[in-house]
Amino acid sequence: MSTETSGVDLVGDETARNLARAALFAALTGAFAYVSFPNPVSPAPITLQVLGVFLAGIMLGPVWGGVSMALYLLAGAVGVPIFAGGSAGIGILFGSTAGYLWSYPITAVLIGVLVHGGFEVGDSSAASTTRLVGAMVAGVVVIYGLGVLGIMVVNDVGLVAAFLAGAAAFIPAEALKIAAALGIVRNERLTAT
Amino acid sequence: MTLAYEPGGTIAHRLDPRSKLGVQIAFAVAAFAHTTPRGLLVLTALGGVLLAVARLPLRRALWELRFAVVLVSLPVLIEGLVWDTPPFSIAEAREPALASYRVLLIVLVSTTYVRSTPIRDSEAAIRWAIPGKAGRLLATGVALVFRFLPVLRADLAAIRQAMAARLGTERPLIDRMELIAVGGLQRAFGRADRLALAMNARCFAWNPTLPDLGFSRVDLLAFCLIGVLLTWTVL
Repeated sequence: MSTETSGVDLVGDETARNLARAALFAALTGAFAYVSFPNPVSPAPITLQVLGVFLAGIMLGPVWGGVSMALYLLAGAVGVPIFAGGSAGIGILFGSTAGYLWSYPITAVLIGVLVHGGFEVGDSSAASTTRLVGAMVAGVVVIYGLGVLGIMVVNDVGLVAAFLAGAAAFIPAEALKIAAALGIVRNERLTAT
Repeated sequence: MTLAYEPGGTIAHRLDPRSKLGVQIAFAVAAFAHTTPRGLLVLTALGGVLLAVARLPLRRALWELRFAVVLVSLPVLIEGLVWDTPPFSIAEAREPALASYRVLLIVLVSTTYVRSTPIRDSEAAIRWAIPGKAGRLLATGVALVFRFLPVLRADLAAIRQAMAARLGTERPLIDRMELIAVGGLQRAFGRADRLALAMNARCFAWNPTLPDLGFSRVDLLAFCLIGVLLTWTVL
């Protein structure tokens, strides 16, 4: 007895594994939106969403990290409650946080390229601390640059008001996330897998 | 409870997901083109009708969007501040207030889609809109995000509980973030690898049998609305 397989174009093992990882990373970034800590230096609570963006670029590399963040936006747009505060819907992608959200795939690709030195994915735990910190600082600049620009365009306000409303209270916590990300990348529980 | 799909028999539920997405995009385009008091009045009325069609109470939709509402109002309040008495200038805040109200309307209308569309329909719409392998990957990826979000949230909650039970809440903030993220990543990667194996074992293919999407007569209403909104945009 033979099995008919003609016409079925199977997805390769490597692609299936990368897709599963990208999707799970997008879901984890969404789940991070629900984890909040009191902020020691600012009244705005800290959520770990941006940490998800950093780690997507570092751990999945520029290509699949970018795919992962694109999935995050698409899933949120069609109704999976993964945007800040558990919100969802295509309207959020036109809303006040639009600049931040659209910056996530760009940032993941940028951090991936900077950490891995190109589009080939190497061992992220072998990257030097300077390289990792530099890449994440560049990521923060892109996220907040586009985020503030988004508020200026969407809410029709000036640079100062947009910066005060959307960045001033949140930026100090990014230094803590960068420090945490360094520890995570080097953590032996993850490097062993 | 977060706003999510709820089964029902409303007109919004019977519409094809593609026409619902079309209405939302046309609504957003029209709102950006007509950010005037009169334009926004028309769009408010239309938004009210769309919420009513999806049987979504306004108060509940606003409550679910409370985070977005705060973010939308904050820049307006800051922009209106002036070095003067009184310290708030309505003239300064007028344009930002109109712009922000427009955003609120767009976000509110998009909640009707979230409420009335199962993720499976959205998956089919993505495959229809984005051809080839990219569409296949994105559609499957979205379905996986939907499936795994509750599981990963439960993982993170379990890790936090375990930390709290061991007085982990007393540790420095960076340590706590690291512990939660490492635990979450370890479980997510473990789940991803098992999932990939399971997908391959079940012949995960580029060309699966697609569910049928079909326009019906109610979709004509949505087409008309899209046409009207887009015509109004260019007028």
